[in-house]
Amino acid sequence: MTLLALFLALTFLGLLGYAFQVYSVKAVVRSNRPQKKDPQVLPPVSILKPLKGLDDNLFDNLESFCGLQYPQYEVIFCLQDYNDPAYKVAKKVKDRHPERDITVVVSHTQEGLNPKVNNLLGAYRVAKYPLVLISDSNVSVGPDYLQETVSQLIDSNAGLLSNIIVGVGGKTLGAVLENLHLNSFIVGSVCFLDRYLKMPCVIGKSMLMWRADLEALGGLEAFKDVLAEDYVIGRRFYESGRPVVLSNYAIKNVNYYWDLRRFLNRHTRWGKLRWKLGGMRYLSELIANPVFLSLLPIIVIGITTVTLSMAIFTATIKAIGDMYLSRVLKSPMHPLLYILSPIKDILIGVLWFLPLLSNTVQWRGNRYIIGRDTMLSPYPETTEWSWRYRFINAVRMRFA
Amino acid sequence: MLLCDFHIHTTYSDGSVQLSRVIDLYGQAGFDVIAITDHVVNGDSYIGKMAWRFKFTVTAHNFDDYIADIRNEAERAWKKYEMLVIPGVEISKNYVSAERSAHILLLDIKEFIPACATFERIFLEARQQDALVVACHPHHMTGLNKDTLYLWKHRDRYGKYIDAWEIANRDDVFNVISLKKYPYIANSDFHKVRHIYSWKTLLNCEKDVQAVKQCIRHNKGVAITLFRN
Repeated sequence: MTLLALFLALTFLGLLGYAFQVYSVKAVVRSNRPQKKDPQVLPPVSILKPLKGLDDNLFDNLESFCGLQYPQYEVIFCLQDYNDPAYKVAKKVKDRHPERDITVVVSHTQEGLNPKVNNLLGAYRVAKYPLVLISDSNVSVGPDYLQETVSQLIDSNAGLLSNIIVGVGGKTLGAVLENLHLNSFIVGSVCFLDRYLKMPCVIGKSMLMWRADLEALGGLEAFKDVLAEDYVIGRRFYESGRPVVLSNYAIKNVNYYWDLRRFLNRHTRWGKLRWKLGGMRYLSELIANPVFLSLLPIIVIGITTVTLSMAIFTATIKAIGDMYLSRVLKSPMHPLLYILSPIKDILIGVLWFLPLLSNTVQWRGNRYIIGRDTMLSPYPETTEWSWRYRFINAVRMRFA
Repeated sequence: MLLCDFHIHTTYSDGSVQLSRVIDLYGQAGFDVIAITDHVVNGDSYIGKMAWRFKFTVTAHNFDDYIADIRNEAERAWKKYEMLVIPGVEISKNYVSAERSAHILLLDIKEFIPACATFERIFLEARQQDALVVACHPHHMTGLNKDTLYLWKHRDRYGKYIDAWEIANRDDVFNVISLKKYPYIANSDFHKVRHIYSWKTLLNCEKDVQAVKQCIRHNKGVAITLFRN
């Protein structure tokens, strides 16, 4: 009975936390938009787009950056390899927009262990404007995006500005789960941290910053061995006294054809990042998952009317909440897809434990050990641990 | 070099992706030339009848709609992605025996050709329509795919009608095509989204239907590539 009461209390706490998240998203989305600026006062911007492989909707995503209503900007597509399939798409977009200042940079930079930063370094070095916007290849924006975000950066006198992300698309199970998670837990956590705890939580999908400020922190090179370079850059800005703000301009993260494994891999990796960055604060994430918490009494005590009712009630409330959040974010999905919301939360609940057991990540074909503040070190190939990696690899090869 | 895939199925036959989505999928990935080639299945065998029953085939009845739909999408693909879309079919003669079965791609087809016609008639009608004739997956394949060996077994008889042979199909490579020095192309045999990552053809020619057909027929400036993400 005491155990059941404890679980009930935890689930209630989780639902309360979730309600705060929903409220904070609503507050951020409905906060005032910046006033329109005279184009004369808008500084020129260098948009850096690191590309690696074919993201869903890549052509449209890249093209959305060619029609921005902004007086002066350049777009730099950066890759590590001419044979990357994204190279052809980038070239095609460049050729279709001769009126735009677009550069395709292929650099084989291997200065650090973070492949995204390695890729960005080539573009960062040729960027010519005082404002730098790092934007992932899987995001799509509207024509007013740059004007609004730069105006917000100027109005708030901030050093760095990031945007809220909305998952759109979703043709496969993995993509639907990804979008459900982005539009509930991820956006909720980012807005909650920003509104109530005043903690910068920068996600690298869109980061607008003053180049001079970044240079003062050592430039992009300073983050070449950090896995969560976006979060760490945001934190360093904040610690150096330069405000970090969250824009209410929602950018679309387009996910159409993800498989389940990709969804699980990404959130295992992100979980590991948060564990290494947040330490004990990571434990609070479990409490922020009321659906998973409401399932625990069924596992521990067994199926009873009370435990089952509690799980069904929590799952229903959470699914309705997620549906409401998507409406607030203007990214509605088919109502039936929200049935998957509790399943997604249970999967995320299971994944929550993995970072406690492993400190290695597989990212973009490379395997790393992540340390404090997500500092990367190469996975050992010749130490006493190597046998485990080699054994797993051998089994995988066998069944491939 | 033009990045090409000449063997793509949609929901018009047994593909799992609708035509418009297929166009967007390939366009977003930067392809230059693709051909939509849904199955036209013979109705004179048990296996063929099954395909008809489950509507896994283009028929004489919906052929015009099929071609019109492809042409509309081709216009959109050209405007949006500068991607050339060629209408085609995969004539599928399916029998229980792999040695009797054959699949033939007809690219740039204009009129319906029934799959239950004789091989000679199919090839001659294709030639009259100036369609490109490609023998697809002509040799043993891996996995659960059913082999279609008839054309390879009778290559001496039918080789003169065939403009190119698939040297690679999705994950399979048929080295016999290279040993015989036949003209070749490589395709995905696209049915599902993940099949986009497979063998493809690279052509060194203008982005124009006639130039593409000529390039394949002459088989100069043709290369194959394994398209991976």
